[in-house]
Amino acid sequence: MQRFLTSLGLRQPGPTITQQDRAILDLKHQRDRVKQYQKKIQVVLDREQEIAKQCLRAGQKDRALVALRRRKYQESILAKTDSQLENLEQLVSTIEFSLVQVAVMEGLKQGNDVLKEIHKELNIDNVEKLLDETREAQAYQREVDEALMSQMTADEEEAVQQELEELVRLTQPDVQVPTLPEAPIEEPVAQPGEIEPVEAERQPERTRVALPA
Amino acid sequence: MALRRRTLPSGFTLPSIHSLHPFFTHQTVPTTLAVQTEHWTRLILSYARHARLFTLGVEDADLKTGPWADILYNPEIARSVKPAHLESLIATLVAQGKAYYDPPKQTRTVLLLWRTLDEWAEVLFTWASDTGQLNTILTFYEIQEPELKSELSGIPTPLLRRAIQALIKSSRAQLIDGTEGGGVRIFASTR
Repeated sequence: MQRFLTSLGLRQPGPTITQQDRAILDLKHQRDRVKQYQKKIQVVLDREQEIAKQCLRAGQKDRALVALRRRKYQESILAKTDSQLENLEQLVSTIEFSLVQVAVMEGLKQGNDVLKEIHKELNIDNVEKLLDETREAQAYQREVDEALMSQMTADEEEAVQQELEELVRLTQPDVQVPTLPEAPIEEPVAQPGEIEPVEAERQPERTRVALPA
Repeated sequence: MALRRRTLPSGFTLPSIHSLHPFFTHQTVPTTLAVQTEHWTRLILSYARHARLFTLGVEDADLKTGPWADILYNPEIARSVKPAHLESLIATLVAQGKAYYDPPKQTRTVLLLWRTLDEWAEVLFTWASDTGQLNTILTFYEIQEPELKSELSGIPTPLLRRAIQALIKSSRAQLIDGTEGGGVRIFASTR
């Protein structure tokens, strides 16, 4: 509903604007006004100095003095407004900090309520009952397991194993072994010619002879 | 005559067309005029963004030392934009939605939108969020003249109001009326 009204421009989004909010806004406006006033005085200060310089250049020493006196006075006002501004800003930050504190309080209160609500559901009887039920359920499960285990006799177990082997054999296709040459049966006898190069290497003093590859 | 880009002391680079005599004359041939207008509106908006100028008025055409003199007047070729020409350029900007007449019901001064209102709304929201001022009541003055310069420094009140309206539309701000003047509270969207 609120969004609909917002879209019509009849109602604004966000939290409702309280009297407090308006007071803070007014306070901030006052602070801004002091700031603007300070800016104005700063301009006046600069202007008076410029006037004094011009008067001196024109040889009007007493008029320059008047301008400088005015400047001094404005300076004292500026210093006063500084302290006023400080007061206003302090007040603003104090209020804003208090608002934060209120928000913290609200948060704590809500958190506390939620915790209470949760504890209501978590009362100790319920927890014990729940734990008991869990324990019973676990015991029941164990019984079921045991019953199933003991029903299996040794014969049945063997039959199951055989079935498994059968399945393994069926799922593995016959492996075609390629024809391989016969492996030698006798002890291998060393041929005299084959040993020659090995001996040649063992005797480095003999001249090396290149063998045909 | 050689056309060349010229960089102003402020660091803004003028396009080469700016040193062309006919560029400052209100063209009559429709196709030429369209191109000329396109160049002018782009130049005006980019210069406004560069120099952070928010308002443009017909009388700026006559000011040789005003904030707009750097682009509306070229001393090297002794040419300046004529007021009537500027007024038509302003009308084009308004028609394109890049500016709007402010105050309304006149056609001599505009507020330039070198950022769209939605973009300004985003800038405002980002500023409030980055400076930790969400959910805080702010005066317009605080936004326009922050102690640390921001993207929003010097933003004219009517433009600021419109940006706030855009934020209100997206449920991220509310206006507060005090006895001393208006204020605004910006917050993360509640949607």
